[in-house]
Amino acid sequence: MTDTAEPIDAATANSGGRSLRFGTKAYLYASLLIVAAIIIIPLITTALGGFKTLGELRGNAFGLPSTWMWSNYGDILMSHRYWLQMGNSLLIAGLTVFLVLALSAMAAFVFAHVRFFGSQFLLNYFLIGLMFPAATAILPLFIRIRDLGLLDTYWGVVLPQVAFGLGMSILLFRNYFRGLPSELFDAAFVDGAGYFRFFWHIALPLSRPIIATVGIISFVGSWNSYILPLIMLNTESRYPWPLGIMVYRGEFSTDWQLILAFITLTITPTIVVFFAAQKHIIAGLTAGAVK
Amino acid sequence: MSQIAPALEAAPTAVLHTRRRRGVRGKWPIIVLFLPPALVLFTLFVILPMGEAAWYSFYNWNGYGLPTEWIGFKNYELIFKQSAFRNALINNGLIIVVSICVQIPLALWLATMVTKSIKGAVVFRLIFFLPYVLADVAAGMIWRFVYDGEFGLVANIYEFFGQNAPFWLADKNVAFSAVLGVIVWKYFGFHMMLFIAGLQAIDKSVLEAADIDGATGWQKFFKVTLPLLGSTVRLSVFFAVVGSLQLFDMIMPLTGGGPSNSTQTLVTFLYSFGVMRMQVGFGSAVGVVLFVICVTLAFSYKRIFMRND
Amino acid sequence: MAGLELRNVAKSYGPVKVIEGINLSIGDGEFVALVGPSGCGKSTILRMIAGLEDITGGQIAIGSEVVNDLTPKERNIAMVFQSYALYPHMNVYRNMAFNLELAGKPKAEIDRRVREAARMLELEPLLDRKPSQLSGGQRQRVAMGRAVVRDPSVFLFDEPLSNLDAKLRVQMRSEIKALHKKVGVTSVYVTHDQVEAMTLADRVVVLDRGVIQQAGSPMELYREPANTFVAGFIGSPAMNLFQATIRGNTAQMADGTTFAFEPDGGASDGTAVTVGVRPEHFQRQKTDTALTGTVSFVEPTGGLTFVTLDVAGVPVVVTTNGEDMIRTGDSLTVYVPSKNVYVFDSGGRRVSRN
Repeated sequence: MTDTAEPIDAATANSGGRSLRFGTKAYLYASLLIVAAIIIIPLITTALGGFKTLGELRGNAFGLPSTWMWSNYGDILMSHRYWLQMGNSLLIAGLTVFLVLALSAMAAFVFAHVRFFGSQFLLNYFLIGLMFPAATAILPLFIRIRDLGLLDTYWGVVLPQVAFGLGMSILLFRNYFRGLPSELFDAAFVDGAGYFRFFWHIALPLSRPIIATVGIISFVGSWNSYILPLIMLNTESRYPWPLGIMVYRGEFSTDWQLILAFITLTITPTIVVFFAAQKHIIAGLTAGAVK
Repeated sequence: MSQIAPALEAAPTAVLHTRRRRGVRGKWPIIVLFLPPALVLFTLFVILPMGEAAWYSFYNWNGYGLPTEWIGFKNYELIFKQSAFRNALINNGLIIVVSICVQIPLALWLATMVTKSIKGAVVFRLIFFLPYVLADVAAGMIWRFVYDGEFGLVANIYEFFGQNAPFWLADKNVAFSAVLGVIVWKYFGFHMMLFIAGLQAIDKSVLEAADIDGATGWQKFFKVTLPLLGSTVRLSVFFAVVGSLQLFDMIMPLTGGGPSNSTQTLVTFLYSFGVMRMQVGFGSAVGVVLFVICVTLAFSYKRIFMRND
Repeated sequence: MAGLELRNVAKSYGPVKVIEGINLSIGDGEFVALVGPSGCGKSTILRMIAGLEDITGGQIAIGSEVVNDLTPKERNIAMVFQSYALYPHMNVYRNMAFNLELAGKPKAEIDRRVREAARMLELEPLLDRKPSQLSGGQRQRVAMGRAVVRDPSVFLFDEPLSNLDAKLRVQMRSEIKALHKKVGVTSVYVTHDQVEAMTLADRVVVLDRGVIQQAGSPMELYREPANTFVAGFIGSPAMNLFQATIRGNTAQMADGTTFAFEPDGGASDGTAVTVGVRPEHFQRQKTDTALTGTVSFVEPTGGLTFVTLDVAGVPVVVTTNGEDMIRTGDSLTVYVPSKNVYVFDSGGRRVSRN
């Protein structure tokens, strides 16, 4: 870490260096465009397919629809189930994010700033959660939720989700809290603040970046999750959208045009939010990985 | 290694906790109020279920009443006798191999291109990362359509050349290769982002020094850039391994583990043979096996390959 | 070995001109320092010579060959970077050998040349170490070793000492000078530190805002600065500059103080000018011009003491002998001979003969 952050003469810092040769550029763009096409074509044809008739999909999956079947999308948007599933996902993800943030920030604060016997042991205990996925213990988890009477409730999904998110979140929060300048703590104590005030008035307000990171990781995880709701929920009216999509497909098994419209509508919020907040989302999702 | 990857540095070094603070009152109230909520939830839904999985795995139990029928290691024997389990193990291995041999080189190649100063580089990054933010279920469903032999893109392409389209996902010899394609499509963007972070952490003047030393583009890449990305490559492989062991959501809409169990992964195997049949004992045993694999791989990989990072 | 020639070299980023028409001819074996404040374009020029930066106008020639379109490796130059830019994953030996390996030189020759360079720079005991195991000064020497080992036509230094502490900087300065004496390769040295430039170079080129202000030997720049920029930049503490008006053969300040000087044409009676006097040119013995003021500030540095005088509201810095006991509040009169009075016209150009 010693010799990366040196000041560089202003003239060199923002210089573009040598410009690329035409051949190099052509090769770059050609490669990038081919890969981009492989990413985008499935997505676009899915969205367009939702505007077609089933018959047209058979011969014209790539092109624009000859007649735009707005009703495919319209029917779904008018239906109760689409909005219900989106609402369910939002509720489950919202609860998950709130609980993960609250519980992990509090626990991490203690690990970062309070010295007590056994703190290292307890921290390692939480880090066990990083080592295996929820699927490993899915059956005992099911039985625990059932015995607690939480089967087929939102909480039956939320609580395990939160619990499995704690390891990573506590680690991220704790590292961040420990990175805060020590003088702040000294100053706050000299000013007469205790741990609670320091947590609430100083540590938390300074932690917006890490709150955003942990929030994004838990939200995306919960919004996209499939296996926990699959096992814990039985009533269709409580299904989040990934389960809903599977049910929908089961119902309209060969009516691909309807399924495609449904997929498109369910992933649209993700895509819109991704492009609107791409910087934060990419930073959030990769920060979890590299820290 | 200290020079190459500030972004990958783990915990910021702290001074705070090492300093003994005298006269700070009220240490216990905050411990007693702040720690237990997380502790209780974590113990109840992570640690205990894992312990219970180990316990249930010695019983033949359908989940109702209490487990009473002790059968020793029978469940474990049963697991290893299943050809579907062997398929799952092999498939998980294949995912790791493809990640290392195809996905990571692809991600690195693209990362080197989108970190050049060309117009639109940021847009390409976004597009490449997009599949990663989509839900596995949605991605699986989209590719089920792509691969569909009657209405899908593959069908249309074959038809264009006047051929009858195959149903790849229904062919047990081809299905898993098709699934591997989707995995690369979905996840390479994430690895690319790791490499972008790694590339940006390399001191630009080191590469300029190589220019002046007379290195060609390839020499620069293989003799300077790649060695300096060592820790990123190891991290990337680590995530590929972890991801492979968790893979479930995407398989379900694509194949559900079929045809004839040719696309099972460890988790879909657990689901199909433990959860679907409510074989709690058997399913728990699979969970324990998965747990042991996860922990062993995580530990040995960290110890052997990542100890310097 | 070869000389280096810059003909009307320019650089712009889109509409922004960073370098404007630089002409500079560097002789074979000459050591030239480019000096100027940060952002003056000195590093950009160096990087254009190296081939790390496109040239948007003019020509650069090494020896007799125009190198504009050549890649860095085809130019046969060596460069020492500000951050050293050592390859972190290679040991000292390989860092120095890398260029020769790439050039496909035989192993025995590589070994001989690396060891020779290592001996010259006292790096022999460090050959197996990685850069992260070296101190700042050692890294600096490896960076130089990497440049020496390949026997280039031109050496380029990009602020090579700015990451070292003051003491080490002085030591490495003399090592660079000694090295240049030994190998005698044409060298271009970029720095923002005028002392470094003066002590090292045969010729110093002062740059500001992408334009050469003056090029000459260190003493030429000191004795005969072409304009106020060079006058202020070269010398420490910086030259005192006062506003004044020409009255015959003298320049008169607002408070009536009159400086006698030796005009060089171009300053007619009544025009506004800038008068410059170096702090070290003030003396206590009576001579041409006298300045009297109250001591407002005293900075002892040991051998010399810098005294700030308040002369009718204008601060004047004077270098005095450290032994002189001068206290804040004292009244002090200092003198300056007219040959040491610099006068610049309203455009900053010098119009006095010194």
